[in-house]
Amino acid sequence: MVATGDLTEPVRAIVAEVLMVPPADVQPETSLVGLGAESIDFLDLIFRIEEVVGRKVPVSRWETFINTRLPGADLSRAITLAIVLEFADQERSRT
Amino acid sequence: MTERVAITGIGVVTPIGIGIADFTSALRAGRSGARRITAFDCEGFDTRIAAEVDDTSFDAGSYVKPRKMVKHMSRSAAFAVAAAAMARCESRLLAGDVDPYRIGVSLGAGGMGPVDLDLLAGQGVAAIASARGQDSDELDIPAFAREFRARTNPISMLRGLPNLAAAHLAIQQDARGPNNTITTACSAGTQAIGEGLRAIQRGDADVVFAGGTDAMINPVGVLGFSMLGTLSRRNDDPEHASRPFDAGRDGFVIGEGAAILVLEREAVAKARGATALAELAGYGCTCDAYRITDERPDAEAAVRAITLCLKDAGASAEDIDYINAHGTGTQMNDVTETTAVRTAFNGSGLPPMSSTKSMIGHLLAAAGAVELAATVTGMLHDFLPPTINFEVPDPACMLDCVPNDARSAQIGAALSNSFGFGGQNACLMIRRW
Repeated sequence: MVATGDLTEPVRAIVAEVLMVPPADVQPETSLVGLGAESIDFLDLIFRIEEVVGRKVPVSRWETFINTRLPGADLSRAITLAIVLEFADQERSRT
Repeated sequence: MTERVAITGIGVVTPIGIGIADFTSALRAGRSGARRITAFDCEGFDTRIAAEVDDTSFDAGSYVKPRKMVKHMSRSAAFAVAAAAMARCESRLLAGDVDPYRIGVSLGAGGMGPVDLDLLAGQGVAAIASARGQDSDELDIPAFAREFRARTNPISMLRGLPNLAAAHLAIQQDARGPNNTITTACSAGTQAIGEGLRAIQRGDADVVFAGGTDAMINPVGVLGFSMLGTLSRRNDDPEHASRPFDAGRDGFVIGEGAAILVLEREAVAKARGATALAELAGYGCTCDAYRITDERPDAEAAVRAITLCLKDAGASAEDIDYINAHGTGTQMNDVTETTAVRTAFNGSGLPPMSSTKSMIGHLLAAAGAVELAATVTGMLHDFLPPTINFEVPDPACMLDCVPNDARSAQIGAALSNSFGFGGQNACLMIRRW
């Protein structure tokens, strides 16, 4: 289902589903790593975000996303929902 | 003398009970776990019965931290992880008791490849269908790739890897020692426990989570075994379909589940004051090297597995009070297995030999582990688990199969047999601690 309007709630619901945590635990400043996310969860996240934004994200772009915004090899850095939202918004605005 | 290896904990997820207490009660009561398949719409299948784990009483998430790890697990991995958590709880092995690098995993698991229905049947087949040319049966690979990528969540690929169940178990139990997956079909659970014993004996580990897990009650699994002619078709009477050694047997009832045992070096178990449930005393394994699914009619290699196991334990046939049979309920297995034990026990009285598959079903890669768990529980609670559904003796399977009702008896030492496609033969021996 392609979401229209603000992506915050759909993406928040996805994060909650992917990490199996209550949606209320997912706030813009929440560290996803702190909620238990690991590399493979971000692939899951992107797959589901693709469904919401209604388009496939070329591998090169989500590789960049993972490797720069979400350091794939070392996920020790806290990842916030805000970064994921920004990624989802960028993807939707691409033509 | 070699140092002994103790079994200090057991966890089971089976069609007749989750956790060792419920499992033991069901074995004693002779309860069947077979029923009409609920996992998928089986209408039109030749076999429409199976021994399923009751999902209303199995919550994988309650055994897993963090909870989201569940979605990365195949059904069989979730069974193994849950069984290991139960086994650890019983063993009272605490973090810090043993160096994590001295804790290993030895797991019997299902065949290689993606057996998860959503991956194989759902996404793969759909992608193939839409990528097939209209006028040709040729598969357009680039089109298949586009379709597959559009439909398939990348994380689902990881659920099909054969070693992932053991990896999940290790993550949950912080077991950083040797981690091995044995994929020898229906003897995998028995061999995994035997190889776990060896890992301790050769000094590679002090504690090993050993056992087996499998979950093949999906359309492909059921069709596959059905097409090989191995499954019972007694669809109108599921509870009486698994009837090992009975003249009216017509194949096995496919089951699912897991059993994990905590194996522990004697000195380590003693040092932390652990209670030993039994000694894992011996292991023997051979291969028929004969035919893919036919067994050697003289059962020579199976006999050798049994005698090697006895020798490994420093025991003789007279020491054995009970045998848990492979006892699938196929025509061939039960005859060949009877021949094997008769030959191996030549000159000694043949002890009672029952098939708990009559109740539990055939748990494939988990079978041997669940059956060793049944044997240990019989030893601990002084009873022989029965072979239920035994009505008409087969002259080719003349033995005391503990027909229909559990029997009070003390077990000092026991064997558990497993045989698998490909000619795999394996035998374990336990002894009262």
